[in-house]
Amino acid sequence: MTGTSEGAGAVTAPPAAGDRSGGPAEPPPHGLGVSLPSADAPAKTEGVFPYASDLWAEGLLWAAVLRSPYPSARIVSIDTKQAVEMPGVRAVVTHADVPGDAGHGRGVPDRPVFAHDVVRHHGEPIAAVAADHPDTARLAAAAIAVEYDILEPVTDPQLAFEAEPLHPDGNLIRHIPLHFGDPEVVGETIVEGLYRIGRQDPAPIGAEAGLAVPRPDGGVEIYTASTDPHTDRDLAAACFGLEPERVRVVVTGVPGATADREDPGMQLSLGLLALRTGCPVKLAATREESFLGHAHRHPTLLRYRHHADAEGKLVKVEAQILMDAGAYADTSAEALAAAVSFACGPYVVPHAFIEGWAVRTNNPPSGHLRGEGAMQVCAAYEGQMDKLAAKLGMDPAEIRLRNVMATGDLLPTGQTVTCPAPVAELLRAVKDEPLPELPKDTPEEDWLLPGGLEGAGEPSAVRRGVGYALGMVHMLGAEGADEVSTATVKVSGSVATVLCAAVETGSGFSTLARQIVQETLGIEEVHVAGVDTDQPSAGRACHGRHTWVSGGAVERAAKMVRTQLLQPLAHKFGMSTELLQINDGKITSYDGVLSTTVAEALDGKELWATAQCRPHPTEPLDETGQGDAFVGLAFCAIRCVADVDIELGTIRVVEMSVAQDVGRILNPRQLRARIEAGVTQGLGAALMENLRTTRGQIRHPDLTGYPLPTALDAPDIRIVKLVEERDVVAPFGAKPASAVPVVTSPAAVASAVRAATGRPIGRLPIRPQAAVAQQQ
Amino acid sequence: MCQSCHVRTVSTYRTAERNSRDTGEGAAGLTTHAPQASQSVTLPASLDEAVAALAAMPAAVPVAGGTDLMAAVNSGLLRPAGLVGLGRISEIRGWQYQDGHALLGAGLTLARMGRPDFAALIPGLAAAARAAGPPQVRNAGTLGGNIVTSAPTGDTLPVLAALEANLVVAGPDGARREVPVSHLLAGREMLRPGELVGYVRVPLLHAPQTFLKATGRTGPGRATASVALVLDPARRGVRCAVGAVAAMPLRPLEAEQWVASIIDWDGDRKLVPEALAAFGDYVAAACIPDPPPPQDGTEPQTLPPAALHLRRTVAALARRALGRALS
Repeated sequence: MTGTSEGAGAVTAPPAAGDRSGGPAEPPPHGLGVSLPSADAPAKTEGVFPYASDLWAEGLLWAAVLRSPYPSARIVSIDTKQAVEMPGVRAVVTHADVPGDAGHGRGVPDRPVFAHDVVRHHGEPIAAVAADHPDTARLAAAAIAVEYDILEPVTDPQLAFEAEPLHPDGNLIRHIPLHFGDPEVVGETIVEGLYRIGRQDPAPIGAEAGLAVPRPDGGVEIYTASTDPHTDRDLAAACFGLEPERVRVVVTGVPGATADREDPGMQLSLGLLALRTGCPVKLAATREESFLGHAHRHPTLLRYRHHADAEGKLVKVEAQILMDAGAYADTSAEALAAAVSFACGPYVVPHAFIEGWAVRTNNPPSGHLRGEGAMQVCAAYEGQMDKLAAKLGMDPAEIRLRNVMATGDLLPTGQTVTCPAPVAELLRAVKDEPLPELPKDTPEEDWLLPGGLEGAGEPSAVRRGVGYALGMVHMLGAEGADEVSTATVKVSGSVATVLCAAVETGSGFSTLARQIVQETLGIEEVHVAGVDTDQPSAGRACHGRHTWVSGGAVERAAKMVRTQLLQPLAHKFGMSTELLQINDGKITSYDGVLSTTVAEALDGKELWATAQCRPHPTEPLDETGQGDAFVGLAFCAIRCVADVDIELGTIRVVEMSVAQDVGRILNPRQLRARIEAGVTQGLGAALMENLRTTRGQIRHPDLTGYPLPTALDAPDIRIVKLVEERDVVAPFGAKPASAVPVVTSPAAVASAVRAATGRPIGRLPIRPQAAVAQQQ
Repeated sequence: MCQSCHVRTVSTYRTAERNSRDTGEGAAGLTTHAPQASQSVTLPASLDEAVAALAAMPAAVPVAGGTDLMAAVNSGLLRPAGLVGLGRISEIRGWQYQDGHALLGAGLTLARMGRPDFAALIPGLAAAARAAGPPQVRNAGTLGGNIVTSAPTGDTLPVLAALEANLVVAGPDGARREVPVSHLLAGREMLRPGELVGYVRVPLLHAPQTFLKATGRTGPGRATASVALVLDPARRGVRCAVGAVAAMPLRPLEAEQWVASIIDWDGDRKLVPEALAAFGDYVAAACIPDPPPPQDGTEPQTLPPAALHLRRTVAALARRALGRALS
């Protein structure tokens, strides 16, 4: 199926009919494959949708967290006396007040709730205060006297190997030496490159916020926008020294999540303060705290050597990948596995020798952010493909086409690609798309030149470049992670309800769940219940998990309800349930003999069914980086057209043409929105997003110092092709779509800038001085 | 949501109202900003009243658009004991003509200055105002605020420096004095306690003016470097100021004099591209000089790559600015 978007603002069409249900008198969109609008869209548009920062409880206290101003220091003493004595302060907690396990962390429990002996990164929590006014809480936090013995921070990941251990677990978090093929093989043409990827921040629209409420049974409830409530609940329970049943995490509206939310340092502080004071405690982080508290994308250093034959066929890839995990392990081991496994990209490479390390430094912690690992290597291997094309005098798209992988090829991990891999088709689609016209016939003042409307751009200094990139990501957790989700579907009267602990992060799961139930049960009105940890776990909201496993669980539960509903009727009429249909609340048999309504069939009963979805198991990578580690893969091709002012080095991306492997389109408008958002996030990583640090200290933790793409920076995003080749192992055959454009778009931008300037672009985000044409 | 306690969700917009009704305690628990600031806000209706209000409470801070000041207050960097709001002083929100000059009110918003009628008068200042941030900021931010904040990246500052504008400062008891804008920006003459910038006196030159700004993104952003250039045909002068590369706008006086001397003021005022490029390099080298040669005769130091790029940027901006002004 081919879809063509109007541009960056394609999500503005009225929510009337979906793409496949045209015509003015059609009923509202219904079921899979249509653009069902999101149920909470009106509330979000009107500003009445409740996020965690809107929560309120009678008699609540306000919390503030004291964070370390130094990236590396020994704590000599912490004196809370002055803070405790301030009027209005109700409690001050430090490491000494943590009753349970002192360690927590998403991947590895290597992180203390509050730093006590040493501080390992700028912004590490040291103490928390609850007071009756937010200003009092902040002033009291500032009044806590901490004596530091400042240490020299380790900020260069290359020096982490030799440095003194920053943590009892050591500085090497993971090392993967991947060996695939014959190390002695040498290609006729060899290109080498060094690539450096910056620290992207998830920069969610809504900063972290939460409310903790003590329970009469001595437990606590935490209301927050968690994307992984069950893990957060278990971490919190361990830290509070409580049984998991006595801690409940209730998920509130999520104000944007392209990474793991929330900051555990904040949640755990809230819970401890609520338990200590017996009062509800609320915290709403400032933007600065948000930048300091959450995990960022791994800054990565990559060294590559590509070997190819004279025709441009890849022979061997050698690479060294060094990921800066920051002070704590978090999900760095997973990110490194993705980086090493996809280090060659969606290309057939007979021999690959990839060595990857994730190391500990005193830099801000790195963790999950859409496409982690895969995004960094994509920028590097695509840079290598451009270099190879230049060296061989080939067209950059042609050299890629000669090497693309297809179903049945091997990944360097030895895993066979069994899912659809229409990489060549995607690349041809973007390559054959007509290029945008040069604005030469329009009045000069209408040109949007690099630098903006009132910028300094001069048409004579602007060069246009066209670049290509191919990206791939894995879906679901890898290396033996138990990917399971549980969902319950309830039907009562003419209303169906879905209960599933999958957090709606904006990825569209709740809309998808409604569509699945509509499709399976023919019931129009479907509600998706809120998420808390009293429900069975649905896992983390990342790697497209909820489209796949939670969607699959909802479908199974809906089918079980369908069987329960139809079985008595089928039995009565002597036919199987497959011969009965449900449409618009009416049950009809294939021959039209039977016609009744769902309400009649229910006869006042409620039907419940709970089902699980668990994809086929995977295995960890072995000591040479081999193993069937991934459940599924998704691919994307992007052609980027960029204008560069070669004197100032300013860049404006004019157009991004995207072709993506989506398996099956479940909601066309939502899918487009996800792809456009992903491309734009990638554009930010390519051009401007880099949380800069000086000796481990975050320099500008605000949105002035950390610019994000605006509407003027976002290019015309044209979705030229969505390849619908169903993945047989995925429920509905659909592939999650959000991450792969993020992975591919930075590499495409860099490729276009390379073409425009002739400069080797090895560093992301691209600095203006790197995009200035060489002085003669 | 929760039976055992009273957690409920309320919209951001209704929080204050509901809380004050439910608890009868006012909204003090909800604002995260200094509540004492709201205790002493005065809203004078004239410049002299504002000066009097400042004299009555010397610790109070004048606030116009608040785009810089309130950000500092909200982040806790500044806790003013009181605020004197200048938003109701209608006399400083417009402009008037005065013997060949325009007397611009300090309360003129950047949005107002960006409009075509203003651009016909002082095109350089209009271009800078249009480049200064997103519409929300331009609608609130004022000319006087831009001057008094004196941020290195303040977009109107290089234009005012190139125009050699004078500030009309209002003091106690109706006193008025003039201060060249460059004196204030360089710290040579400061505002005294109780003084306010009331007006900005700008010469009307009736000649092309340009303002060019390099930023990191296509959307609104702070300048990495900016160049303002005005032609003064009556005095046969070219005046140029470079913003954002130093704490205050820099004037490359020698480059100005040189280029003014080679322009054919009575003819078509065109320059060959080489002359434009030479002007650009002259300006850039003056604003971002090479490190001084070492006294001990060792190898002279070179500028770091980032400074070299900044110099190239300034050179390109100055060349383009002059080219556009003379075209």
